[in-house]
Amino acid sequence: MKGLFKSKPKTPAELVRQTRDLLAFIDLNSNPREGKKEEKMVELFKLIRELKSILYGNSESEPVSEACSQLTQEFFKGNTLRLLIVCLPKLNLEARKDATQVVANLQRQQVQSRLIASDYLEANKDLLDILIAGYEDMDIALHYGSMLRECIRHQSIARYVLESEHMKKFFDYIQLPNFDIASDASATFKELLTRHKSTVAEFLSKNYDWFFAEYNSRLLESPNYITRRQAIKLLGDILLDRSNSAVMTRYVSSKDNLRILMNLLRESSKNIQIEAFHVFKLFAANSKKPPEIVSIFIANRSKLLRFFSDFKMDKEDEQFEADKAQVVREIAALEPKE
Amino acid sequence: MASYPTERSAYHLLHKIGAGVSAVVYKAVCLAKGPSSVVAVKSIDLERARVNLNDLRLEAKSMALLSHPNVLTAHCSFTVGTRLWVVMPFMSAGSLHSIISSAFPSGLPEPAIAVVLRHTLHALHYLHSQGHLHRDVKAGNILLHSDGSVKLADFGVSASIYDHPAASTSSTASSSFFCDVAGTPYWMAPEVIDSRNGYGFKADIWSLGITAMELAHGRPPLSHLPPSKSLVMRMSRRLSLDYVDDDGAGDRSRDMNKKKKKKKKFSKQFRDMVASCLVQDPSKRPTAEKLLKHPFFKSYYKSQECNYLVKHVLQGLPSVEDRFKEYYLISAASASHDGHEEEDQEEEEDDDDDIINGASSKNRRISGWNFNEDGLEFDPVFPNIINEKDLELVTQLNPCSSSPSSSAAKMINNNNELSSYPSSCSSSALLNIQADTKEGTNYTIVDAGVLVPSLVSLMCTLELQRQTVKGLLAAAVSDHETTQREEAAHGDGDHVGRGGGEFRGRAGGREQEERRSRGGD
Repeated sequence: MKGLFKSKPKTPAELVRQTRDLLAFIDLNSNPREGKKEEKMVELFKLIRELKSILYGNSESEPVSEACSQLTQEFFKGNTLRLLIVCLPKLNLEARKDATQVVANLQRQQVQSRLIASDYLEANKDLLDILIAGYEDMDIALHYGSMLRECIRHQSIARYVLESEHMKKFFDYIQLPNFDIASDASATFKELLTRHKSTVAEFLSKNYDWFFAEYNSRLLESPNYITRRQAIKLLGDILLDRSNSAVMTRYVSSKDNLRILMNLLRESSKNIQIEAFHVFKLFAANSKKPPEIVSIFIANRSKLLRFFSDFKMDKEDEQFEADKAQVVREIAALEPKE
Repeated sequence: MASYPTERSAYHLLHKIGAGVSAVVYKAVCLAKGPSSVVAVKSIDLERARVNLNDLRLEAKSMALLSHPNVLTAHCSFTVGTRLWVVMPFMSAGSLHSIISSAFPSGLPEPAIAVVLRHTLHALHYLHSQGHLHRDVKAGNILLHSDGSVKLADFGVSASIYDHPAASTSSTASSSFFCDVAGTPYWMAPEVIDSRNGYGFKADIWSLGITAMELAHGRPPLSHLPPSKSLVMRMSRRLSLDYVDDDGAGDRSRDMNKKKKKKKKFSKQFRDMVASCLVQDPSKRPTAEKLLKHPFFKSYYKSQECNYLVKHVLQGLPSVEDRFKEYYLISAASASHDGHEEEDQEEEEDDDDDIINGASSKNRRISGWNFNEDGLEFDPVFPNIINEKDLELVTQLNPCSSSPSSSAAKMINNNNELSSYPSSCSSSALLNIQADTKEGTNYTIVDAGVLVPSLVSLMCTLELQRQTVKGLLAAAVSDHETTQREEAAHGDGDHVGRGGGEFRGRAGGREQEERRSRGGD
């Protein structure tokens, strides 16, 4: 008897359509009668949770790929992603988290071996603008930030963000006072500058001047300890990546950059010193050092050599010691160029 | 959350209420919110904390996005110089561990245990439903307020299955998989200790069972064991809720125990509840939700909750700050007098580590438990020792790892932090070509994708075994646990930070993990 009253389970596509309808309603009616709105909200939360459990599975079952693929197709056939992003601020905390997880998961779902999320985003790039601006709103920053990081897994989307004006804003977001938001922005920034090698290399070559000017003055010379520490670490990651070798060569040929790195070597923070060393050594190892770099090394030779004789890791590290010995040899052997 | 200011000048620090190597916790007033708005400020020294910034980011994020009456979350967090300040609600009665040490050395009455554990289970149920594991459930992380409210604290080691790359596409809540080791050993579940197979939410249920025993006896099982007893031999010992201690504790205390042989009586329901948590097979342990329906919690439902705690547990307790002072004086005194300074320091550092980063843990490890349900007893099994050479092998290979970022992998990679770029992984790509090619051989021949995960898990197990050996050698004081949650921080930083590297010096995995992060000394 029970079965008679139990409604047939909805298909993933039906769930998506219902979600979409409710989102559209909530989007349009910013102030419907309270009671009715409440009811629709509760229904919406339930639906989003159901979508999540289809995509991630639950304590009883693993996700079924057929269901995931149906869900994904229906989701991107309509404008569900846009509605979900736009309506996110109207959801409660739990629904926001569920929605974020749904969006994150969808970025990786393949339908007939295509990432259709990527196609959708390419046709709706303004959604990225909305997500990035989320860093300015404390309430939704972490949700939009997570979604954003998933979206830039798609190379074309990462390229869009890199080439947009938004890149400049990250220098502000990284230094927001709230640690949780600032560090989320840093993580996104790092992802943008490290994930897609060829795109990053292209971006850095094209935007070398403004990018490193900002990077040096706002991040490496920031008064904020954690900004400096993260920035010097990321700089090492970027420059030591083979795909960025052209950029690296250019970076280590500038005496202004060398000056900044030498200042970082002098920091009281050991973590910063060590990361700075990994970049500094590139200046010393450069086989085509420009004369101005050579003359800085020579002018500071005795100070540098004294510094390196005391500069140690807390724990023995062969690699570090070998690098250091090499740097010391390089600097000691320099001859002034006319 | 939005309303708490994010600058130092907005807070007036009143008393230190917890401290450790790299973190201090203060009772403070948030000036912007008036003189009566008391908060706890945890100040973490980012130079000294053995933590990578990404883990800290994930922790801050979980704290910001969780919301449950039994879960301690942060009002806000921001940096002050090289320190991270985390502003949290002030739990005025401190941690259960501290309460027990101060007023209930032989354990809490059963109704109090029921009330406290029920709140804790609500917190766990919420965390699990959010895809989070707590991974360090113990009395030291259960905080009480003088109004009787209970919160589960400390996400230093908690992890989210949704943030975990391995869980991203295929994994489900039920198959959540963590290869890294976290937690505090006495409370740790067998599958956490033996982490080759990964573990999930049920590990927290195990820890809850151990916490129940801790609350019942005043300390976790086995914590009284002097570790010097057996080095290579597998130890087998019976331990039960009815609790008898024997051979391990040495003759003197054995006699004392005989005198005290008045066994504490526990209800059938309590024993049954604990037994269900301590089933060896995780899949047979109840979920948090199911455990909440256990008759044990029903039977004390009437003990009117908050009121009960306020009347029977919290009344007449010294303040958190006084308890901290006392604890601090005692531990400082014992550290300088009993000649175990080194070990104490080691241990306290480890404590701190549990909170801040959780990747490593305390001295003594147990590799498994053989549970005897009839007698409600278990037989712990200690792991064997492993050849140091194997550790070295792992050490040598790991720079080549390009592995998934399980924390264990991260732990290894901390080493040179360039690990995500195997192409330039040897930081000497340009400098030291000799060394580079030498190391590179391993990694061009062997498929890193296959090799690395197995090495990571190998390292985990080796690390555990090494820890055991270290623990056995160290013969340290065991009950050095927290006085409070904030004890997050345990012991005083400056005091503890010096020295104490003897054992670490020849450690394999442990050493690597520390190498970077101990940078500040």
